[in-house]
Amino acid sequence: MKKIVVLFMVILMTFSFVSCTNDTKQEETAANVEPNQENTEGKSEDVNMTIAVNAEIISLDPHNLSDTLSGSAADTMYESLYDYKLDMSLEPVLATGYSVSEDGLEYTFNIREGVTFHDGTELNAEAVKYNFDRVMDEEKNLRRRRNFLYVNSTEVIDEYTILIKLDSPFAPMINRIASLSVISPTALEEYGDQGILTNPVGTGPYTFEEWTPGDKMVVRANPNYWKEGPKIDTLTFKPVTENGARIAMLQTGEADYIYPMPTEQVKTVESDENIKVIEGPSTIARFTFLNMTKDIFSDVKVRQAINHAINKEAYAKVVKSGYAVPLTSHVPTTIEYQSPQPEYEYNVEKAKELMKEAGYPDGFATHIWAPNDTENMKGMQFISQQLAEIGIDVEVIPMEEGTLSDSIYSPQTPEESEVNMWYVSWSAFDIDGATTRLFHSSNIPPTSPNVSYYMSDEADKLMDAGATEVDPVKRAEIYAELQEVIWNDAPWIFLGSDVLLSAKRATTEGIFVDPSGGIIATEASTTK
Amino acid sequence: MKQYVLKRLLNIIPIMLVVSIIVFMFIHLIPGDPARIVAGQKATLEEIEIMREKLGLNDPYIVQYKNFMVGVFSGNWGTSIKSNLPVWNVIVPRIKPTLILAIFSIIWSVVAGISMGVISAIKRGKLIDYIVMVGATSGISVPLFWLGLMLMQIFSVKLGWFPTTGVDSFSSYVLPSITLGAGITAMIARYTRSSMIEILKENYIRTSRAKGLHEFMVINKHALRNSLVDVITIVGLQFGFLLAGSVLVETVFAIPGLGRLLIDSILFRDYTVVQTVLLIFTFQFIIINLIVDVLYGIANPKIRYE
Amino acid sequence: MKEIQYEDFKIESPFREFSRKFLKKKSAVISLAFLVFLLILVVFQPTPYDISAIDYDNILCEPNSDHLFGTDEYGRDVLSRIITGTRISLSVAIIAVTIGAIIGSILGIIAGYYGGLLESLIMRSCDVLFSFPGLLLAIGIVAIIGPGLTNVVIAISIYGIPTFTRIIRSSTLSIKELLYIEASKSIGVSDMRLLFKHIFPGTLPSLIVSYTMRMGTAIISAASLSFLGFGASPKNPDWGAMLSTGRDYIGVAPHMLFYPGLMIFLTVLAFNLLGDGLRDTLDPKLD
Repeated sequence: MKKIVVLFMVILMTFSFVSCTNDTKQEETAANVEPNQENTEGKSEDVNMTIAVNAEIISLDPHNLSDTLSGSAADTMYESLYDYKLDMSLEPVLATGYSVSEDGLEYTFNIREGVTFHDGTELNAEAVKYNFDRVMDEEKNLRRRRNFLYVNSTEVIDEYTILIKLDSPFAPMINRIASLSVISPTALEEYGDQGILTNPVGTGPYTFEEWTPGDKMVVRANPNYWKEGPKIDTLTFKPVTENGARIAMLQTGEADYIYPMPTEQVKTVESDENIKVIEGPSTIARFTFLNMTKDIFSDVKVRQAINHAINKEAYAKVVKSGYAVPLTSHVPTTIEYQSPQPEYEYNVEKAKELMKEAGYPDGFATHIWAPNDTENMKGMQFISQQLAEIGIDVEVIPMEEGTLSDSIYSPQTPEESEVNMWYVSWSAFDIDGATTRLFHSSNIPPTSPNVSYYMSDEADKLMDAGATEVDPVKRAEIYAELQEVIWNDAPWIFLGSDVLLSAKRATTEGIFVDPSGGIIATEASTTK
Repeated sequence: MKQYVLKRLLNIIPIMLVVSIIVFMFIHLIPGDPARIVAGQKATLEEIEIMREKLGLNDPYIVQYKNFMVGVFSGNWGTSIKSNLPVWNVIVPRIKPTLILAIFSIIWSVVAGISMGVISAIKRGKLIDYIVMVGATSGISVPLFWLGLMLMQIFSVKLGWFPTTGVDSFSSYVLPSITLGAGITAMIARYTRSSMIEILKENYIRTSRAKGLHEFMVINKHALRNSLVDVITIVGLQFGFLLAGSVLVETVFAIPGLGRLLIDSILFRDYTVVQTVLLIFTFQFIIINLIVDVLYGIANPKIRYE
Repeated sequence: MKEIQYEDFKIESPFREFSRKFLKKKSAVISLAFLVFLLILVVFQPTPYDISAIDYDNILCEPNSDHLFGTDEYGRDVLSRIITGTRISLSVAIIAVTIGAIIGSILGIIAGYYGGLLESLIMRSCDVLFSFPGLLLAIGIVAIIGPGLTNVVIAISIYGIPTFTRIIRSSTLSIKELLYIEASKSIGVSDMRLLFKHIFPGTLPSLIVSYTMRMGTAIISAASLSFLGFGASPKNPDWGAMLSTGRDYIGVAPHMLFYPGLMIFLTVLAFNLLGDGLRDTLDPKLD
């Protein structure tokens, strides 16, 4: 009787689940994203490599994604005209060269000949134009459109030449035009904007195999790749959010590469001969906005005092387990045109002196905001501990990310804003991207994250000049001056720049992490 | 009986309506703008505005709720804000892992729980009773995620017996099911024990014993059967615990199930997915409760339905 | 102790009988002793170190003679933080469960005693609350009103209400059927008097037992909320928050994960065993 009842219950429960599964099966479109059981069996002899990552892949449409990880996943299948190398310089990929007109308004690209998409479609100027048109379409509002707001029109000159016209000269334009991934126009026609998500067709080193949103994405080496490609059969991206679990996968060999390697846990794998930890510089700046419209932070002396009161080395050690370098400007050294500034040395006495001069000999009370994950909470607590030394009482307020962004961006005027300090990081490819959005007076919330409400005419002018100046020497001068102005005004607590950590099995070769945190697996190979 | 089931089924409609309103309010009341989250930190204001318009977020709540309900009834559950995939395509692959995890956990909990409870009840007051009961109570007292991490450290990393994460084989489910089932096993063991003790005291058991019936038969045929009533109730009531626990266990063991989907979608303010998953959760929960109540009647004919 | 006296009055069995029976339950007695020990920690806070004393040169130290439970990521003494954390974790649980118990019992008694439309309304609301599986309800509430200790308390209270309502309703129902209630009713005793003098005391055994059991659930729920990032401010040495930080250091400094987890485990275990003991003592027939 016992068994029967139990069995009956189990069957019923199963049934109630399955019955809702069945309904849904009919709803599924041609874009079947379920893992295919039969296929996995046949693949057992394939050489597979697995990269375990800390978040899920959100999208595989390279024109409509905004996170680095989805970008990395899409980049296994898609390529752009130019791409960043590990040292952040540009390297031609689907283009063979380009030229700019003297007024900086026209860019002409030569497209590589003899490249075909995974579906056999030829790569030519027409195909590239098709992609430009798609990404610039206001109706579609794809996320990468923001990179092309200055582009006026595109024109096919001949089979392998395309002309791009801008509205106004914009110096960093080449970085942005060149980074557009090219999707097969045939596939776009066939699958549509939504279908292309689950049927990616590009020119890259891998072809699409399967993707279960929230779980793994598998790609297969492209046998017809136009240059030397990966030396494996399949590559799997697997999201494993729990840090300990990700490391465990590497230890057991279930993963060949993990990124990010949690900084706290390097010690656990150091002694393991099968595992190698890889360090690399990053474009990530970690800092804290000080809201300058608040009385307490309106005096530059207070802001400088705060910068003197923070021990940047201790920050790296305590918060980043040693894997960070102090910021020497508001952009990390990996960004072109970075110019190092004299450091705000750690000096509590000097900080106290400055506080006294500013009229706060006994400090004041304030609060700091950041998302509620453990790393951000650690950073906030550290700042709170350090500022307690100069009498500033900082209340730590962790917020869930969505709530935080609401609290930052819903105030329409500086007066309404309640943010005092915001512990955050920023990563960009070029100096304009790492500056204008964060410091230009036109970019205060709700427009953009200039949360210091930094409004300096001098800095504004320099930012505008830097963005339109095409001559590299003059640009360098402009940006050097700009960095000095911002550094001395100290609208931020300048904390550090991450050292990116990844880890691999000793057998793994050819997988890299670039300074922006993108994973490059074009030449992946393994000896396992 | 038939009437009772019918009445209960009809009862589901108002409950689901209220639930749908709560679910809708729940996700819309959480501060945070999906358009801004989806667009990312580097988005322009114009881009966010277009997206808000496209997602219908500028409509009054009542219109948004109406659209949501129309979608539910017409079978068009919308598109995930986060991934731009149809909601069903996001949810369907997530059902299987959670389902397997739940079934494995339930099976081992029922088997282990009942055995522990029966042993304990028979040996009431003896040392073994103490050990089993303290063990069972430990199962409810241990924080799931802590147990999961500890098990993973010992059995996956140190001993290498099971995969650490994922759902690639059935062995991947062993540790997560043990973790998830620990609490329910304990519940079942405790309830089986107390209801067995209760029943063993009853007159008819004494009579059977007096009649010289074999002890095994007494326990199996009379006592256990009657205590099953309580066990069913507990398993049913604990199903919610199971689903909630799956959120934690799926996080620790990186299982791509519904629980984790729900948390991720809440964090991302993926309104459409959150609404749908919550509706599925609650609907299924209500149905299971109904089944439990009906089974309760079958196992214990003394209970009358009004 | 207060409840116990109340209990004496109702069941009219002397306190001595209760203690005699209770003392037989060894696990419950040990648990009670452990909880009293925690209470002493809460009151006297015998922390060997200042809980916010940072020492960046001694971070993540393994347990040693200076720091019995080791140090955390800022070089703070883990033992001291666990001791202080006892106060936070226990107060969160006590306040949350008490609120949930009060509201839940009132609703339960009303539903059980009056029946009819009122009962349907209350019980259907409970069904609705119950249809959000366990912790999800708490997660939802915290997501809406924001993280922080107060909000965690609110969320856990609300999440506890339907449990109490159901239990109290069913024991009210069974008491209502007793003859003496019928009798009192027939001689015209007022509803209020009946409820408070007769029915409520009758539900006390189940209330006390579920209260004790619920304490354990509340502590775990608070810890789980912290684990998922919805919990207390990180400055507070709340056990759940410590556990959630500790898991980042699982391979490097396992003591950061192990000890707070062990504390939660032992405390919850103590509450549950005590609850068992109380149940057996107060009313062996109760299930």
